[in-house]
Amino acid sequence: MAAAVKTEGLTKTYKLLTRREPVSAVSNLSIEVSEGEIFGFLGPNGAGKTTTIKMLLGLVYPSSGNAWILGKPAGDIEIKRQISYLPETPYFYDYMTGAEILRFYGRLFGLSDSVLNTKIVELLKIVGLYTDRNKTLNQYSKGMLQRIGIAQTLLNDPKLLILDEPTTGLDPLAHSDIRNLILKLKEQGKTVFLSSHQLSDVEMVCDRVAIMNRGKLLKIGHLSDMLSAGHVEIVASEIDDVTVNKLREYVHSVDKTEGYCVISQSEGECVNKTIDLIRQCKGQVVSIVPQRHTLEDLFVEMIREVNK
Amino acid sequence: MTTFVIARNTFGEALRKRILWIFVIMTIALIALTVSFSQFTFREQLIVIRSLGLGLIAMVGLLIVLMLGINLMSVEIERRTIYTILSKPVRRHEFLLGKFFGAMLTLIVNLSLMSLVFVAMVTWKNNWHLELNLLKGTMMIFFELLIVGSVAMLFSVFTTPVVNFFLTSAVFIVGSLSDYTQSMASAENQSIGAKICYTVLHWATPQLGNYNIQNPLIHPNAVITSELRYYVINIIQALMWTAILLIISVLVFEKRDM
Repeated sequence: MAAAVKTEGLTKTYKLLTRREPVSAVSNLSIEVSEGEIFGFLGPNGAGKTTTIKMLLGLVYPSSGNAWILGKPAGDIEIKRQISYLPETPYFYDYMTGAEILRFYGRLFGLSDSVLNTKIVELLKIVGLYTDRNKTLNQYSKGMLQRIGIAQTLLNDPKLLILDEPTTGLDPLAHSDIRNLILKLKEQGKTVFLSSHQLSDVEMVCDRVAIMNRGKLLKIGHLSDMLSAGHVEIVASEIDDVTVNKLREYVHSVDKTEGYCVISQSEGECVNKTIDLIRQCKGQVVSIVPQRHTLEDLFVEMIREVNK
Repeated sequence: MTTFVIARNTFGEALRKRILWIFVIMTIALIALTVSFSQFTFREQLIVIRSLGLGLIAMVGLLIVLMLGINLMSVEIERRTIYTILSKPVRRHEFLLGKFFGAMLTLIVNLSLMSLVFVAMVTWKNNWHLELNLLKGTMMIFFELLIVGSVAMLFSVFTTPVVNFFLTSAVFIVGSLSDYTQSMASAENQSIGAKICYTVLHWATPQLGNYNIQNPLIHPNAVITSELRYYVINIIQALMWTAILLIISVLVFEKRDM
C-alpha cells in the first residue's frame, strides 16, 4: 500500500532581494504518512508547515527533494480528485451563499448538479449551516466560514484531507464537533494530515505527529511513544524512615508528607524492587501510575531547547 | 469544462460589481443626453451623437477592462481564494483562461448593452434609419479592449493591481499612438537612436490606433479602402496579440509559487 503522503529531502528556499543568502522555509524534510492515519503536523509560527502543505498541493514548487501523494507526484491533477484541502483562515468569494460556494467547488470536481443537490444539503447539515445556507458568506462569522471550509473538503469524498488549522475561530461546541468529525473520518478509513496549534486536539485525535521548527523536522513518531515520560509514580503509606533512605539510594525522588510517600522512578528501574521494599516494612501500596507528558509539555520543551 | 466553471463564476462575480453597472448606466444616460442637443444642424447633430457615443463606449469599455483585468489574478492571490481552487483538480492554465474569458464575457455584455442603446438612439434621431454600421465601431472597440485585457492579464500574474494599472495604461497609450510612433520612426529629421526607439515602441506594442475607426463611421465621406480586408486583418492581429499574451501569462503563471 502506497503511503498517503511521502516526502524525501523536501526543501524550499526563497531568494530575497534584501539578503544575499537564500532563506530556507523547509529544509530536507523526509516524512511518511500511512493511509488511514491521522497525522499531526506541528510547529510554531514560521516552522514551515504551510509551505510544506503548499508543496504537497503543488501550489509551491520545491527547491529540491520530492513529494508524493497517494503514490503520485505532488500536484498531480488526478490525485487532486482524491484529496481535499482546508487552508488556514479560509477565504472564499464572499458574495456567494454557503450553498453556492459548495456548488462552485463541487463543479470543479466535475460533480453533476443532481449529485450536488443532495450532497450540498447533506454537508451543510453535517457542519450545522443548513439554516444559513442562503446567507452570503460576508454575513458569516469566522466560525461559520471555517465550517463551510470543512464542508468543501468533504465534497469529493476524499481519501486524504489536508487540514491547516481546522478549529481556528470555532466556539467550544463547534470545536468538539470538528474533532469528532475528524475521528469519524478516521473510522471511514480516510487519512488526515492535520496541521494545528491546538495541541490538545492533536493529542486527542492523532496517531503520529511530526514537530517542525525553523523549517527542520525535530521529531516524528507515535504519540504514545513521544508522550510516555518513562516515569512511574508509586504512592505508599506507612513507610518507615529506614525504607525511605533505602529507596533514595536508587529511585529518582522520594517525598514523604502526611503519612504518604510519593516515589517517582523511571520505568527502567525495578518497580518490583520498590514494591518488595514497601511490603517488607509492612507498608501499603496506594497507587502505581505511569506518568505521561502532555503534548504541550513536550512541544514547549522541545522548541525551547532548540531555540536556545 | 473547468475553464467554463471558472469563467462563469468570474462573470457572475463581475456582474455583481455595482461600479460596472454605474458606468454602463451613466454612459447610456450620456448617450441619451447627446440626442437632445439641438443647437446644431441635423447633419452636425448626427456627427456629434455618433462621435460622443463611440467615444463614451470606448472610454467606459477601457475603464471596465482595466478594472476587471488588473484585479483578475492578483486579487485571487491576495485574498488567497486561489489556494482552495488550485487544490482542486484545476490546472493553472484552466484557472487563468477561465478568469480571462469570464472578464471578456462581462465586457461583451456591457459593450453590447451600451451599443444597443447607442444604435437605437442614433436610429431614432436619424428618422428611424437603422444605423447598424455603428456596430462595426463597437466591434473594433471590443477587439482593441481584448488586447488591453490580455495585457492587463499578463501583468496581473506578477504585479500588484496599482503597478498593473500604470503598466497597462502605458501600453494602451503607446499602442493608441501607433500611427504617431510609425511616422516618427520613419521621419527623416530623427536621430538614429530616436528612430530605433520609435520603431521598437511601434512593433513591441499592439497597434491599437488601428481599432479606432470612428472617422469613417462618423463622417460618411471618409472611406476605408477595402473595408472587409481592414477589419479581417485587424481582428486577426487582435486575436494573435491576445493568444501570444495569454500564452506568456500561462507560462509565467505555471512557474509561479503561490
